[in-house]
Amino acid sequence: MKKLNPFVKFLFYAVLVVAVIFAVYPIWFMFLASIRPGQSLVSLDLAGMFWPTEVTWSNYQAMLFGTPIPGSNPYDFWRWVYNSLKVAGLTTIATLFISTSAAFAVSRFQFRGREMLLIFFLAIQAFPGILSLIPIAQLLTAMGLFGTHLGLILAYSAGALVFNTWNLKGYFDTIPVELEEAAMIDGAGPIQSFIRIVLPLSTPALAVTAWFGFLGGFSEFVLASILLAGKPGQDTLPVALWKLSGSQSVPWGQFAAGALLISIPLLIIFFLTQRFLVSGLTIGGVKG
Amino acid sequence: MAVSFKGPRKFLTILLFIAPTLIGLFILSVYPITYNIYISFNNRNTFRPRANCEGAPVGGEVPPAWQTRLTQVLEPTCWEVFSNTKTVGRGQFYSFSDPLGENYTKLFGDLITRESLISLTRLLGALSPLLIVWGIRRYLNRQISPPRSWWLWPLGVVVVYGLWQLLDASAAITQLQDTGDFFVVLFRTILYVLACIPLFFLMGLVLALILNNEHIRGRGIWRSLLIVPWAVQSYIAALVWQFFFRGEVGTINQLLKALGIVEKGPTWLGDPNRPWLAFAAVVIINLWMSYPFFTVVILGALQSIPHEQYEAAEVDGANWWDKLTLITLPLLRPAVLPAVVLSSITTFQMFNTVWLVTRGGPVSGAGKPGFTEFVMLHAYRLFQDQNFGRMGAFAVIVFAMLFVATLFSLRYTRITKGAYE
Repeated sequence: MKKLNPFVKFLFYAVLVVAVIFAVYPIWFMFLASIRPGQSLVSLDLAGMFWPTEVTWSNYQAMLFGTPIPGSNPYDFWRWVYNSLKVAGLTTIATLFISTSAAFAVSRFQFRGREMLLIFFLAIQAFPGILSLIPIAQLLTAMGLFGTHLGLILAYSAGALVFNTWNLKGYFDTIPVELEEAAMIDGAGPIQSFIRIVLPLSTPALAVTAWFGFLGGFSEFVLASILLAGKPGQDTLPVALWKLSGSQSVPWGQFAAGALLISIPLLIIFFLTQRFLVSGLTIGGVKG
Repeated sequence: MAVSFKGPRKFLTILLFIAPTLIGLFILSVYPITYNIYISFNNRNTFRPRANCEGAPVGGEVPPAWQTRLTQVLEPTCWEVFSNTKTVGRGQFYSFSDPLGENYTKLFGDLITRESLISLTRLLGALSPLLIVWGIRRYLNRQISPPRSWWLWPLGVVVVYGLWQLLDASAAITQLQDTGDFFVVLFRTILYVLACIPLFFLMGLVLALILNNEHIRGRGIWRSLLIVPWAVQSYIAALVWQFFFRGEVGTINQLLKALGIVEKGPTWLGDPNRPWLAFAAVVIINLWMSYPFFTVVILGALQSIPHEQYEAAEVDGANWWDKLTLITLPLLRPAVLPAVVLSSITTFQMFNTVWLVTRGGPVSGAGKPGFTEFVMLHAYRLFQDQNFGRMGAFAVIVFAMLFVATLFSLRYTRITKGAYE
């Protein structure tokens, strides 16, 4: 292999360094803000923008054990985490339970209208949640579910159902049919071959699909901010952190602390599951 | 196929597998779309909360029976099952608009007039050389040994510039922007997509090429650091960048001041005289969030290009530019195209990030759409202003556009085929 021209090599490293600063600095800045005392973000010297000059953990204390928003309940942060986990988790479990069998049917059975059904799924996928705000709000109001977590779960389910069905259908298509045919010779019906053969083989795909679905609900902002109608104690994390970041009475450092507390576990999981990322994201095209 | 059985048993089995999902989608997706179409023909653009379930006279006139019937079917507050949660408000009834398509005509404004259509033709005519270049190159590249034709692109751009002056396309755009919100919003959204996607690709390509070079040390670490933004949730990224771009206290302006570049940095997000700054800000933020995806996709594709191809080219005396344009880029195509199509659709319907950063602003005048008020933000603003009828019409049109785009993207992403292959 030919040696690289030293000037080109220097240029390559320079590009990498600049790109890494661009990539990482916002997160590093969040960390700096979260350990800085008080409101001193406004007047910073050059050193303070890159390196911690004074260190305090009070922002983390306020988020974890105190009252993040003055005058509200202590341990609110945990309340938001709980709300988000509840909404995103229940959406994922419920929709996965329903849509796995549909994905199997679309992948395996030949029936009239199958192509139409696939186009239908696509059409629905092309309809972003914001555009159905009015009908969903109207429906939830009539059902008495406006401003409740159950209502929000229903609103999220539409997107999650299509996403799951697509993702899992794509995976089921790759499982060889011969396995099921062998089972059918032994007398298994379609339901048995689905439960006994295909499902055990698809655990990784189910996990990846569930994780992406979960992340979508966990970071959704618009529908939550409207359909929960801003009732205190109901907020999910994105809505609550958004309120914190814009609040005049709360130091921005507290928002940074809260945002980091959420981001770090997700960053760790992200780097552990990296290799699934590309396949998972290019399939659905229905991020969030 | 694995399952071969017939008759009613087959029907029942398939129903058992599919029905729960179909019912869910019917209630949560099909119904909302239908309701949007229904409401797009209603006059619910001011506070008119009540549905006319019984067909009571409005303004002294009894509405036609089909309208009442439609309302009874589609309006959930009219349904018998929900009668106990019925709102007994005082507000006015909403009813079908008169003329029926009023929301649509108001939405399009003067876009469907002779003058606007001429302007549109002038604009598209000025841009047409690019399409011709694309067609010629497509034809040439099908030949067994295609001649080099990349120079057609700069030539095309020059011709576009000439035609642009000749047809006075700038004046055409100005005329079209006066027709109403719809064109303005759509035009700026398309500009946003056109500004973002090439940047994603370029940054992804440069980084992937460097990371794929075996003379670079610690490639794994560089790669991990570079894809960090991908793992950050979009709303957190938006809120942090929003802080960066703030006026006085914003990090970017403070940095500029500390480095002594400017005394007082620009108002990035709210300057109606320089709205391009806000536009640039949302492009940069989207770039930050999206380039890791492109880097990873391109890097994966680069690693699958066999070394022999480059070695053979070197024997033939190819320099790095030849290798890039004749080997690397053509071989990247199948991997990059789906990423480009999917990102274009995501960017087109982007809401969270842009809204959290600019709220659609800066606004140049009351009632006009802000400079970064892209399609989804416009829909949201119509919702906030309680322009429900108009939002319904807007939703129907955007839905149609997105559906066509999705069908079109199928050709490139092969979404109906096995995705894990």
